Amino acid sequence: MIRLLLRKELHLALHPTAPLFLALSAMLLIPSYPYLVAFFYTGLAIFFTCLNGRENQDVAYTLLLPVSKEDVVRARFFMVILLETAQLLTALPFVILRQTVLTEPNPAGMDANLALIGLALMQMGLFNLTFFRIYYRNVIRVGAAFLWAGGAVFLFITAAEASTHILPFVRDVLDTPDPRHLTAKLAVLAAGAGAYILMTVQAMRRAVKDFRRQDL
Amino acid sequence: MNGLVQVNSLSKRYPAFCLENVSFSLREGAVTGLIGRNGAGKTTLLKSMLGFIQPDRGEVRFFGMDFEGNQQRIKQEIGYVAGSFGFYRGKRLSAITAVTAPFYDAWDDQVYRRCLKDFRLDERKTPAQLSEGMKVKYALTLALSHHARLLILDEPTSGLDPVSRDELLDVLAQLNREGTTILYSTHVTSDLDRCADDILYLRDGRLTAQGSLRGFVSAWRDVSMTEEEHQRADDSLLIGCRRHRDGWEALVRAEDAQRVPGSVAEADLESVMIHLERGCGE
Repeated sequence: MIRLLLRKELHLALHPTAPLFLALSAMLLIPSYPYLVAFFYTGLAIFFTCLNGRENQDVAYTLLLPVSKEDVVRARFFMVILLETAQLLTALPFVILRQTVLTEPNPAGMDANLALIGLALMQMGLFNLTFFRIYYRNVIRVGAAFLWAGGAVFLFITAAEASTHILPFVRDVLDTPDPRHLTAKLAVLAAGAGAYILMTVQAMRRAVKDFRRQDL
Repeated sequence: MNGLVQVNSLSKRYPAFCLENVSFSLREGAVTGLIGRNGAGKTTLLKSMLGFIQPDRGEVRFFGMDFEGNQQRIKQEIGYVAGSFGFYRGKRLSAITAVTAPFYDAWDDQVYRRCLKDFRLDERKTPAQLSEGMKVKYALTLALSHHARLLILDEPTSGLDPVSRDELLDVLAQLNREGTTILYSTHVTSDLDRCADDILYLRDGRLTAQGSLRGFVSAWRDVSMTEEEHQRADDSLLIGCRRHRDGWEALVRAEDAQRVPGSVAEADLESVMIHLERGCGE
């Protein structure tokens, strides 16, 4: 059933801007830009999808199908994970391009390197944890969910990008071209992946519980 | 209590409304009308039955199975049709069907094609391009195409013109003749006069009457009185008494009909419901 629900998510629920926003990974080519912002657009696509779902009674339609309430939530999370993975995968060629051809450092913040991907994973995990915590308590309150999640991500981006100017470790080790300080960057990448998994799994567990109790 | 659907002691409390201890069963093959004025709790009841709302108390059983824990199997055999099909208004019907069909083990594409033809539905259109009547017909098409044993209809004729309404009632009558059980929630009681076998009457969240429609309606009489007859009448016998242009009208119990002056006539469901809701003279 999850496979069918995922199909429903992609064919009926997904907002048309979601695949278009993947192309915004190309923002990593901008010479001077806070690159973590490029990964925020996936969150925007998730917000649009949930907003669009509210206007099109997506939850009511899905609950009438022969599926459980729990699977409705899980399918939405799988779609989100798919979207976020796609965002990272589309970003990779641009990271490689920045590391091999357009090698100028990014004066605005973090360079497009492996540590950036690690930070992007943390950022997306944080978005999932904040957004779905509110959304699945009340699926009507999509705006409130986005406001809190957007706020949390904004603070994260500000802190992460500012740290490249303030913290010596970030400035001298993480905000450098690959493969310099590869071990530290791989550690950040692994920590990002771990944080993403932990936060997303936690968000899904809570969402299943909240959605089960919610009156629709 | 036996039946295709059994609802036992279902309760749900909100700050301003309470669905209280509702119990009933639906006979297999019957059309059961769920009536009550706006806000009586009809939608809350249907939503509680279908798992949209978490009841505070009570249990719901479909086809002998608890809804809780068996909802996937149960929903395979249920079709839900609301007054307006508001899902995915910008998507083509063909796209919605292509996603919906694989969920149902008993999906029958031949039935689906036949319904499209009979209802003159164009799959290339989107719900936004359909009239209210056509939206209901599309929802019905989806329900029929997976051979639903139970149809749950929530105000299906609310946005329909008289001709579309008539057509829909004909379709329901046909389905019922073929053995489909129907739970029909509406406040348009004339629809039920035409097709219902049984009745569930919700009032302020409580089930105040249930049983055969004929039995329910035949327990009451309409009385029309002149001014002078009204003055002579025993007020305690008159229910929902109201003044109209030429005199007074009220509802009385069938056994009291001879004790009230005025002209007495058979009551219909609408008249019974209106007078009971007005409650004047009770």
